[in-house]
Amino acid sequence: MPQVGRREPWRPPRGRHRLPPEVVARSQRDRLLEAAIRVVAAKGYGSTTVADLTREAGVSRTTFYELFEDKGACFLAAYDNAVDALVRRVTAAYESEQRWPDRVRAGLEALLAALAEEPELARLALVDVGSAGPAAQRRYRAAVQRLTPLFDEGRDFAAAGRSLPANTSRMAIGAVTGLISDELVAGRAERLPGLLSDVLFATLVPYIGPNAAAREVGEKS
Amino acid sequence: MIRIPGSSYLLAWPMATTEPRRDLILAAMIRVVGANGYKATSVADVIEEAGTSRTTFYKHFDDKHDCFLAAYDMLVERVFGEVLSSCNGSEAWLDRMRGGLATIVELFALDPQLARTAVVEVAAAGAEARQRHWNAVARFTEFLDDGRELAGGRELPENIALMSAGAVSGLIFDEVLAGRAERLPAMLPDLLFAMLVPYIGPRAAADEMRRAAATG
Repeated sequence: MPQVGRREPWRPPRGRHRLPPEVVARSQRDRLLEAAIRVVAAKGYGSTTVADLTREAGVSRTTFYELFEDKGACFLAAYDNAVDALVRRVTAAYESEQRWPDRVRAGLEALLAALAEEPELARLALVDVGSAGPAAQRRYRAAVQRLTPLFDEGRDFAAAGRSLPANTSRMAIGAVTGLISDELVAGRAERLPGLLSDVLFATLVPYIGPNAAAREVGEKS
Repeated sequence: MIRIPGSSYLLAWPMATTEPRRDLILAAMIRVVGANGYKATSVADVIEEAGTSRTTFYKHFDDKHDCFLAAYDMLVERVFGEVLSSCNGSEAWLDRMRGGLATIVELFALDPQLARTAVVEVAAAGAEARQRHWNAVARFTEFLDDGRELAGGRELPENIALMSAGAVSGLIFDEVLAGRAERLPAMLPDLLFAMLVPYIGPRAAADEMRRAAATG
């Protein structure tokens, strides 16, 4: 998947070409998805129009409506696309380690780095997503819940694993997103990587308690 | 607490105000937004619900957004007022926290529309509204911070109250978003665990959770 705002997406060559129509459509779709994130992050969801999106993506209005029902559908698709990339990056980092606390540290480090690299996307993804209405908020929750299995491995690692409430992973996720959103709301996305100790503590603490969590945090920092 | 099923207990309160009509409009705004969503709400809907005139509305507010912000502030103040009065009289931090949390979930369960406005629809009302929502969550964290004393001299992260509040508000948000605000009181044991665990660890928090489930 192309990374939003970082490199220009591939475009079919101008003029006559023999690209199959589905390849052209895919490229137009990708451009619209990227445009949706950029424009909504800059202007806010409410003031973004379909015309803004087609202009930014360099596609026609007709093409837009062939691909998406409306602005909302395009934004939700763009949102899912961006979140997919983020979840893949976090999961890959997580899986590069063995011990659960190390896996969590690697995953969170990747998450914070990704969000700090693209502050507008980060703010849109975590803070401003609600401006697109409850449907977008449900997408947000669904995206966040995809990280649940990574947290739930903590049950096997923790001595208290069996007595933990079923909602423990959601608590950890809520604590982490709370800490990150607090920085984003204050406009300090670039400082997110410095939050690693706190988000690591917040993730580990419901599973292993404050003493052990503090030890894990302290070991490598 | 007096329960008035199906009505907004919190907003039906006797109001110590010099502007009863303004308060009627604010209460109507909270109900209508909770029922229909912020985007779909019009000034006409709000004045119809409030039983006031358009002139009265514009005497007090510039527009829908201005009115919503005022309504949101009132909502936050009322919830805080309730939480504070439920905390009064309890000396121990744990008792105060348990009481405060129980008060919030009962208010939300009694009035799902208020809950929806308070935690879900506020996000659709623009950046300023989202900032005020965030400020409200931050105010709750101030209550939590006395819990540091329970840690028995351990070093706890500076942001620990925010972790605790983030975990609790995430669980509440999920339920309200799914239209299950009335189930929140049943989740009180879990919410209590989420709030306490950064301070006292999973074993002690699970004990509190079981205690809450037994007395709940």
